[in-house]
Amino acid sequence: MLGKIFLGIISMSAGFFAAGGVFTVLITVGLVPRFAGKTHTGGKVMLYEDFVVAGTIVGCILSVFEKQCQFGSFLLEKGIVSEAVWTILGNILLLVFGLFAGMFIGCFALAIAEMLNTIPIFARRIGFRHGIGIAILSVALGKLVGSIIYFMQGVYRYGGR
Amino acid sequence: MAEGKADIYIKMEQNTEVTKPDVYLKDIADIVCSEKNMAAKIKAIKIHKFKENGIQKVVISITKIITMIQEIYPDASVQNIGETDALLELVNVNKHKGFVQGMKIAFVAAVSFFGTSFTIMSYHNDIGISSIFEKFYIMVMGNPGNSAVLEISYSIGLSLGIIIFFNHIGGRRITKDPTPIEVEMRIYEEQVNKALIKTASREGKEES
Repeated sequence: MLGKIFLGIISMSAGFFAAGGVFTVLITVGLVPRFAGKTHTGGKVMLYEDFVVAGTIVGCILSVFEKQCQFGSFLLEKGIVSEAVWTILGNILLLVFGLFAGMFIGCFALAIAEMLNTIPIFARRIGFRHGIGIAILSVALGKLVGSIIYFMQGVYRYGGR
Repeated sequence: MAEGKADIYIKMEQNTEVTKPDVYLKDIADIVCSEKNMAAKIKAIKIHKFKENGIQKVVISITKIITMIQEIYPDASVQNIGETDALLELVNVNKHKGFVQGMKIAFVAAVSFFGTSFTIMSYHNDIGISSIFEKFYIMVMGNPGNSAVLEISYSIGLSLGIIIFFNHIGGRRITKDPTPIEVEMRIYEEQVNKALIKTASREGKEES
């Protein structure tokens, strides 16, 4: 029993600092302010923060309690939804998740690159003046191609080796 | 003291949004002057007029304002105690309301939700959280078993951590400090304003 209490205290502190660490990175690159600024919805920052908090908690539960969270097979086994319906609903859910998560990660990757001043330094070194739009488009297309190759070739299965 | 010889203090804001095309000095700056008449007259100086279809953004330099004040009161001394350049924007009141606005909010909220849940899942996947929990359980308890206590308290800790980090539950603040995203938001706005002002003065579009 004492051991379990000890475990509980330790992993709770671990959770605290994991949250702090992950979110300091998220905040310093300033993604959400940028979204809010672009859409002129600066007044709703609190709401966005709520969604950041909610998203993290859901993601945490889904990944930590992986075995208990197999809600797809649970719904099918109990017969709450028929298989045909769930094929559509599930695919919609996957589509929405993939689309928005992809957008977030795409912005995140470029925001980190930008925070390290990669683009300004590079542009200055090679005396780059015009065509920044084309450069950005190329970055986006490169990411798209890279991502497609990654999934098509199954790079994730053997880690690029 | 003779008429028009008092000290005038101007404090400009870095960024002002106006809703009418005619902009007066009182809209973009605070004016302090010991003589009431002078203050009133200065406040009513028309500083800019937006054209109907023109650019809705303009950078105004303090030099323009000083010149305009000196045209009325050549003997007055003008002190600037605020920004030296101000960004002036004409906003359409109806533009930022309604359905489109709601869609935008929903969009940003969805990106924040799915994005962060993906981030934390990939982080857990990266560090291989289940195997850490299993190994740590054996390390502490001596033999393998159900590590649910670790998982549950970790999740509680993580939730508490972010709620404390962001400093609010729903709309209620825990302490009076601004939240991290609000702080970032202000920094971001300031940087955008500065960049716009710098661009305008580099291209010679500043009104001075």
